[in-house]
Amino acid sequence: MPPDEQRLCLPSPDRLSKLAIHLIDDILNRLSFRDVVRTSTLSKDWQYTCRRIPQVKFDQTVWETPEDLTSPTIGFIPILRSFFRFHIGITLKVTLDIISLKVCPNVDRLIFLLDTNFIQHFVLKLPFSYPRYSLPFFFFYCSALRHLYLMECEILVPSFFQGFNKLISLKLKSVTLSSDTFEGLISNCPLLEDLVLKDIHNPYLMSISAPKLRSFVFRGDIQLIYLENVPLLSNILYEPRDLVLEDEDDFANIFSSVPALECFSWDHFEGCILGDGDYFESVPQEVVDEIPASFSDMTFNHLRTVKFYDVLLEEGEMQLIKVLLAKSPALVKMEIKPRQMETKKSLKLLVEITKFQRASSKAEVVYLVD
Amino acid sequence: MSSSTKFLTLKTCDDKKFVLDEAIAVRSQTIKNMVEDDCVSNVIPLPNVNSKTMTKVIEYWKKHSEEGVSKDVLMDFDKAFVKVHHSILHALILAANFLNDKEILDMMCQEVADRIKGKTPEEIRKEFDIKNDFTPEEEEEIRKENAWAFE
Repeated sequence: MPPDEQRLCLPSPDRLSKLAIHLIDDILNRLSFRDVVRTSTLSKDWQYTCRRIPQVKFDQTVWETPEDLTSPTIGFIPILRSFFRFHIGITLKVTLDIISLKVCPNVDRLIFLLDTNFIQHFVLKLPFSYPRYSLPFFFFYCSALRHLYLMECEILVPSFFQGFNKLISLKLKSVTLSSDTFEGLISNCPLLEDLVLKDIHNPYLMSISAPKLRSFVFRGDIQLIYLENVPLLSNILYEPRDLVLEDEDDFANIFSSVPALECFSWDHFEGCILGDGDYFESVPQEVVDEIPASFSDMTFNHLRTVKFYDVLLEEGEMQLIKVLLAKSPALVKMEIKPRQMETKKSLKLLVEITKFQRASSKAEVVYLVD
Repeated sequence: MSSSTKFLTLKTCDDKKFVLDEAIAVRSQTIKNMVEDDCVSNVIPLPNVNSKTMTKVIEYWKKHSEEGVSKDVLMDFDKAFVKVHHSILHALILAANFLNDKEILDMMCQEVADRIKGKTPEEIRKEFDIKNDFTPEEEEEIRKENAWAFE
């Protein structure tokens, strides 16, 4: 390389500070508030950039000392004050992620300080505690919310709640709420497209009526979910929590009201608890030859992709694979990744699957083994 | 490789040419759009990317397009890929931004963030050759305002 070109590639000192603002924001977004404050003292450029970032993330690094951690509520207030002194402009996104804190602080103060007219994205990931932290009523004034993620808290919707009219993404994990609250919440989010429900603490049936919903991820007992009105829902990921798949009606329930289903995934990996029985050595049960009656009226005209991950390929799952192959004329690809098992058993199941009737001549069944 | 493999020629700002399988080059959304809009003539100019950076980008694209590479191998590759001087990180961020490759951009921004995390301002300045243009009094003032963050 000629010397003048070489010079072209050599760093002028501190190129990072000269990055376009959206790229700097992309970097700062990944930092906790403590690191952002430290970064703001690097130079005048950084001071300006850091103070105007439209999002803030508090994690447990913002608590100063071990004493703060034993009474984190008290430790949190000066940090919030510090944030409001430090920050310039509108805050669009606030994240509080303290899942491994030993004690759950009361974060009412943080929520009280949210700018209810502007806050678009709120993430609250709390540590496990009993009783759960209950969201204060004033949270429900945040009418500009577009994305909401709540973990380890209790939701009680106040009577004045007018809905999150702009909300498109709702993720609830280990949240306590009643069926009425859930249904009231969902039906007051008319634009909701993306819903994730994991380990919801509510033993009763919850029905989902969400006319714009496109993607649904669910971990828990499938019997507890009723998809009442989801005309656009095209993408479902289901993570069964326990092996509760005795009844084909459970599957029929998933599919009976999802006319636009395009991609269905079944992931057994997370949360599945193996019981006493040794599933790895059990011989697969005979697969029923007939398609169950509960599926007889159904076809999945739009279903193109199906994924089964970490499945044990027991009777219920084999049944589901069979039904989906027989009833999906547009199917392009079905991926099956069985949980690690004896080769002989695995092959036997594969042979079984290849015998299943396929409604789509283009359907490719991909069997993934390690 | 099928017989229909198409090749694209990319030309960097320092006039070096790279001939690349189209299937790999379209990892860049920018190039993909050009291909889809049929506005690819013989050579695609990349006025914002130099050859040294492009070599790195292509190295990444090729590794991530190889078939049958295990996740562990890719993870090790990525780890080694980001262990570079901050001037190269900077060049890769600009290139990934121009090429609209979210994967590389995300990885590089994360690496910069990881190099900032938990460090003192002095350590961060050293890492990125950032010049402190505050007077000692100004700096002291800012630190006092946010004393909790420096403990």
